[in-house]
Amino acid sequence: MTTASRLGSGLKARRHHRNRARRRQLFWTVIFLAPAVVALAVLRIAPTAQAIFSSLYKAFPGGLVPATFHGLGNYQTLFADPAFVHTVLLTLIFNLIINPVQILLALLVSVLLIQRVALAGVWRTFIFIPVTIPIVGSAVAWGAALNPQGPVNAILSAVGIGNQPFFTSPRQALASIMIVASWIGIGYWMLFLTSGLQAIPTELYEAARIDQAGPISTFFQITIPLLRRQLLFVLVADTVANFVLFVPVQLLTNGGPQSSTNLLMFDAYQQTYGYGSRNLGAAEVVILTVIMLVFVILQFRLLREEEVTE
Amino acid sequence: MINLSRREFGLALLASAAASTVGLSGCSKDGGAGQAAGQSNTWTIPTKDPTATIKLLSIEDKDAMQPVLDAFEKAHPTIKVQLQTVPFNSLNSTVDAHVTSKTGDPDVYWADQPRIAALASRGELENLAPFEKYKSDFDAATYTAGIYQDKLWALPIANSTQLLYYNVDLLHKAKLKAPSPSVDHRLTWEQLAADALQAKKAGAQNGMTFGQFDRYYQLECLPVQLGGSVGASGKDNLTPDFTSEPWIKAMQWYGSIFKSGAAPRGMTADQTDPAFLAGKVAYTVEGPWLLPSLQTSKVHWGVAPQPVFPGAKPVTAMGSWSLGMNPFSKNKEATAIFMKFMSIDDGSGYIKYRAAPELPATPAGKKIYFSKPGFDTPAGKNAQQIIDYETTHTGVARVKTIGYIEFETIMNQAFSDIRNGADPKKTLDTASQKLTTQWAKYK
Repeated sequence: MTTASRLGSGLKARRHHRNRARRRQLFWTVIFLAPAVVALAVLRIAPTAQAIFSSLYKAFPGGLVPATFHGLGNYQTLFADPAFVHTVLLTLIFNLIINPVQILLALLVSVLLIQRVALAGVWRTFIFIPVTIPIVGSAVAWGAALNPQGPVNAILSAVGIGNQPFFTSPRQALASIMIVASWIGIGYWMLFLTSGLQAIPTELYEAARIDQAGPISTFFQITIPLLRRQLLFVLVADTVANFVLFVPVQLLTNGGPQSSTNLLMFDAYQQTYGYGSRNLGAAEVVILTVIMLVFVILQFRLLREEEVTE
Repeated sequence: MINLSRREFGLALLASAAASTVGLSGCSKDGGAGQAAGQSNTWTIPTKDPTATIKLLSIEDKDAMQPVLDAFEKAHPTIKVQLQTVPFNSLNSTVDAHVTSKTGDPDVYWADQPRIAALASRGELENLAPFEKYKSDFDAATYTAGIYQDKLWALPIANSTQLLYYNVDLLHKAKLKAPSPSVDHRLTWEQLAADALQAKKAGAQNGMTFGQFDRYYQLECLPVQLGGSVGASGKDNLTPDFTSEPWIKAMQWYGSIFKSGAAPRGMTADQTDPAFLAGKVAYTVEGPWLLPSLQTSKVHWGVAPQPVFPGAKPVTAMGSWSLGMNPFSKNKEATAIFMKFMSIDDGSGYIKYRAAPELPATPAGKKIYFSKPGFDTPAGKNAQQIIDYETTHTGVARVKTIGYIEFETIMNQAFSDIRNGADPKKTLDTASQKLTTQWAKYK
């Protein structure tokens, strides 16, 4: 046996051993991944596939008459209806306003509360409390507070602003829904941003102070760049949460008055359960998912581009 | 420690995904529905009672139904009836779930009259051909409520109509004359709105109410009086038809009573009867179901026929509940005997034996109904005459369409928007577009 061939067989044996080890590791990886993947498949992928499938069919309500294949007919029906187009536009406008506003306010509050404010922990708890209340409870409470004869109007008329219609006016209903959603949202997103802010090393701020940087340039030069990851997570998660916002609409306005709060998620629910048009409802869910994906992909792009420039 | 490469990790993911798909396919149920039901099995209404236990699904509870069921079991000792009660709001989903499971439970169920076409087209009702010979036992319009595509699918057990009730003291305070109880001298809607406003200015908390604000059941008569359609037309009544001049005019009047303050915004259907009974309303348009509570209340009340638009023909709301048979029932003959007892025998066993009076669907039943306490006072006698006249002459059924559920939901939303100040024409146009989208699935 030459040295080379001996070396070769040794290599083979080692490779064989390594392959076996790899296979065993692969086996255990499958076992450990399985619960998560099964959950994903059952709870996420299957319903999505089912929605896409169902959106291509047309059926009578009730379960006795079989459905027939309808191609893209449901999508055509939806986009031919000005009321549905209005719903899509309304959902886009709602998200283009509420997401930046919520994140800006959450950022503002968290920056304020990591300064040396007296009782910062207490304030932070107060802002976080709404998150711990079930959304149904807070929606009901806000419904009572913003009732035309409710306490908010009592305060407003006491300070001379006068009564506001809130949920009963097509001009104010959507803005009122935004207030309810943000009351909960701001405290929640603040939590992530605060932890991000606290992770920024204080030396950087001290260095900035030595360089005589003002608070505004410190904020944009140090705080924002180092908070980018948390900000992007909050941006993506907040966008998704607001696209599927449902409870306040269902409890407080039912999409009205005059369809002014008829957001896509609520409309999909109404189609399916209110009108028994489950195939149209499925088509709406698919449209909502696509719109949401476009927004999320855009936001991820933003992250990747900034990584390249780094 | 050996780290898995990206490819191997992907492989592992795929493998677990495959495993989960196997698990999934095990629990996914057969999505394809079986063939449509409703093929008429051969059954008759037997002359000799079979022995059977039948299941009844109703919105009425045991207190209301027990006297009726006791009377039935006494007359037909070999047939037992098991009652299952569900609230009105879950009746449709319960019927849908139970009937489509094809177990034959329930054998017979409460069917909302405007939904009979939808239930029949979905295959959830048995054709009632053997009952067609009893047509003349019913008030014509109530019998027609069970017809879909020229066939009979449900038997009416009750009916309804509308009256104008007023609070004598509040009218007196506003120096208003009581409206005439004669069906030949009806108030106009415009006059009612003006008088209601006057009563409110004289101190009534509310001028006028509709017992069921914003509901198609009560508001349908307004455009129909003016010559408008019942809300849909065309083949199978699947074309929205409520943007015509009569509809716009009727809805302009409806919007105006809230704008002027004659009627309140914000009050819901379940608040209107208690408000009238508490003496807080001068006029209310409401069904005969208000009569029993009026007799025990302290309100000094009077009654007149429902108003009409000037020069228009009087039209009033009607309709109530019917009984439908499950096409998968295993006891069709016993069920038929029960249905006949409930709606036909003795002018309607349901009306005869239930404790609280309810307006029947048969002329013979009306005699029993009017002999119940409460119709012997002067106001009660007026009510009797009006009810008798309206149910025979002016009742108009709700639109018969297989898409009724969507229709009613969208209409009620539109009425509510108009009540809150939306432009009637624009609101009706939008509702029409919405409904066109919903009804596309039937075409």
